[in-house]
This record gives sequence, structure tokens and C-alpha cells, in this order.
Amino acid sequence: MAGNNTEEVEGSATTETKATTNTEVPPEFLIKHPLQNTWSLWFYDNDRNKTWEENLIELTTFDTVEDFWRLHHHIKQPSELRQGHDYAVFKQGIRPMWEDDANKMGGRWLISLEKKQRNSDLDRFWLDVVLLLIGENFEHSEEICGAVVNVRPKLDKIAVWTADTSKQQANIEIGRKIKEQLGIHGRIGFQVHRDTMVKHSSATKNLYTV
Amino acid sequence: MSASPIARQATHSQTIPSRRVLITDPSQMPDVYSSTPGGTVYSTTPGGTRIVYERSFMMSLRHSPISQTPPKCPLPAALLKNPGSVPASQISVQKPRSNSISFDESLETFSMDL
Repeated sequence: MAGNNTEEVEGSATTETKATTNTEVPPEFLIKHPLQNTWSLWFYDNDRNKTWEENLIELTTFDTVEDFWRLHHHIKQPSELRQGHDYAVFKQGIRPMWEDDANKMGGRWLISLEKKQRNSDLDRFWLDVVLLLIGENFEHSEEICGAVVNVRPKLDKIAVWTADTSKQQANIEIGRKIKEQLGIHGRIGFQVHRDTMVKHSSATKNLYTV
Repeated sequence: MSASPIARQATHSQTIPSRRVLITDPSQMPDVYSSTPGGTVYSTTPGGTRIVYERSFMMSLRHSPISQTPPKCPLPAALLKNPGSVPASQISVQKPRSNSISFDESLETFSMDL
């Protein structure tokens, strides 16, 4: 009998705690919202004593909206990084390099930002691009591999990498969505990784433009 | 590698199967409300469903108590917003991003994690 009493007391205490929490915090705040995919956050350090591949570090992975925000709130924004550094967010299992099997046949939508845009647009564009990706906001989101932001002395760049350059309709839909979400008025171009590999990116021809 | 777009092509883009059934008499209607004439309703799409979040919804979760807690994974000090020689966890505690009550709650949550 004594045991039963203890259980009852504990039970009612738990119920009270739950009731209190529910009245103070909106129900949406009590759970983590799962993402369709698990994403990896990569960082590219430009240590001259290391090879390109050694400089590329997979920092962590996240698979809920809340875990993305936890990272976002605590790490530097792209505009706060040193020049030469990159962030990349890719589906887990895809490395942010042309050589990865998932990228070999792929390409990228490229957004180049003028230096003055580093303070006004870079961080906002990067956040919006990452939200488009992890929220699966593209009709052809299965074609998405990831996104990269390069912080560079001349032009900062944001690129969204897709899996298969031959899928014209899917790639154009993705490009239009990016442009619309970021509010870009000029044209943006899609480049094939195999072309970027052999030429300097500014000399690479666009396969598609929107 | 299930996340690989290449691997996913196996389940990409199929049409939803459908057929038309002609009803000539009320007695041909199914007797349960959850059925349609000639079969049941397809409740899922071929190849599965997808979890989609609008930007505005994700933004609404941006300052929730869970979203404010520091990440558990070790991160290079150079990448943290508040640089210094203190360990990552302490840096995060020193830098409240909000002075609301919910932030105090997240601090407590974090201490318990330790």
C-alpha cells in the first residue's frame, strides 16, 4: 500500500509540471521539428600548410529545425569569417567537392556578391539559401546536393549545387526559386562542375540562366 | 548514402494510379464512410511523402527555448561568435542573445546537460 501511495504522489507531480509548461510555452516550442534530410555543416580553413582536402572539415550534422538554429545562433555569420574561408551545408554523405559521386555529373547556381554586399546581403542570402534547402522548398529537391558560401577578397560567392546538369527543367525550377526567394533582379547562371574544373570560374560558360 | 540524389532516382516521379467507377444504384455505394466506390482512398503518394517547411514557419521557431541552447558538438573556437580562450560552452553562456524569460530556461537546460 505504501508503494502505491508514493506512485500516486509522483504521478500527480508530473502532471502538474506538464500543465505549467503547456500554459507558458506554445506547443510548437516543445518539440523538435524533424527535417526530411540529415545535413552536414562543413568549414573550409585556408591553412597554407595543409592540402585543400585537409582544410575541409565536417563540423557537425543536424536533422531538426531547432538543431539548425542552435548552430546558426552560436557560430559566426559568413560576413564575420576570415577571407578565404567557406561554409558548406550538404546532405549527409555528400562531400562538398566535384569529385564526390553525387556531384560528378552536377553543377551549381552561382550568386556573386560585390564587396559592398558583404554587409548588406551576404548573411541574409546564405540563411535564406540554407532554409530553402533544409525546408525542402524546391519542387525537385531530390536534385539538391548542398550549398557553399565563399568569403573572398574580391567577390563573395554563394552557390547551390545540384546533382545532374542534364535535368534542365529541375535545374531551372531550382534557379528560379533561389532568385525569387533572395529577391535578385539581375540574371544568375548555372555552371557545369566539369567546366569549372578546367577554367577559372569567371570564364566558365553558363549552361542555363534565369 | 540513402540521402544521395543518385540513389533516390529509384523512387522518383511515378503517376498516382487511378480508375473510374460508374455508380448506377445507391446499393452499389460502400457501407463505410472511409471507403470510396471501387476501393479505398490513396492516402500516400508513390515513393513516400516529403517533410516541407515554409521559411516563415522555420523563422517562427528561431527563438524558441530549444533553438537558443548551445550546440552540443565541439566547434573550433575560431568559429564561435564570441572568440576567446574560454571553452566553447562558457563562451555560449556568456553571450545571451535575448533577455527574455525563455533564455533563462535554456541556460538551466544547458547546465543539466553538463
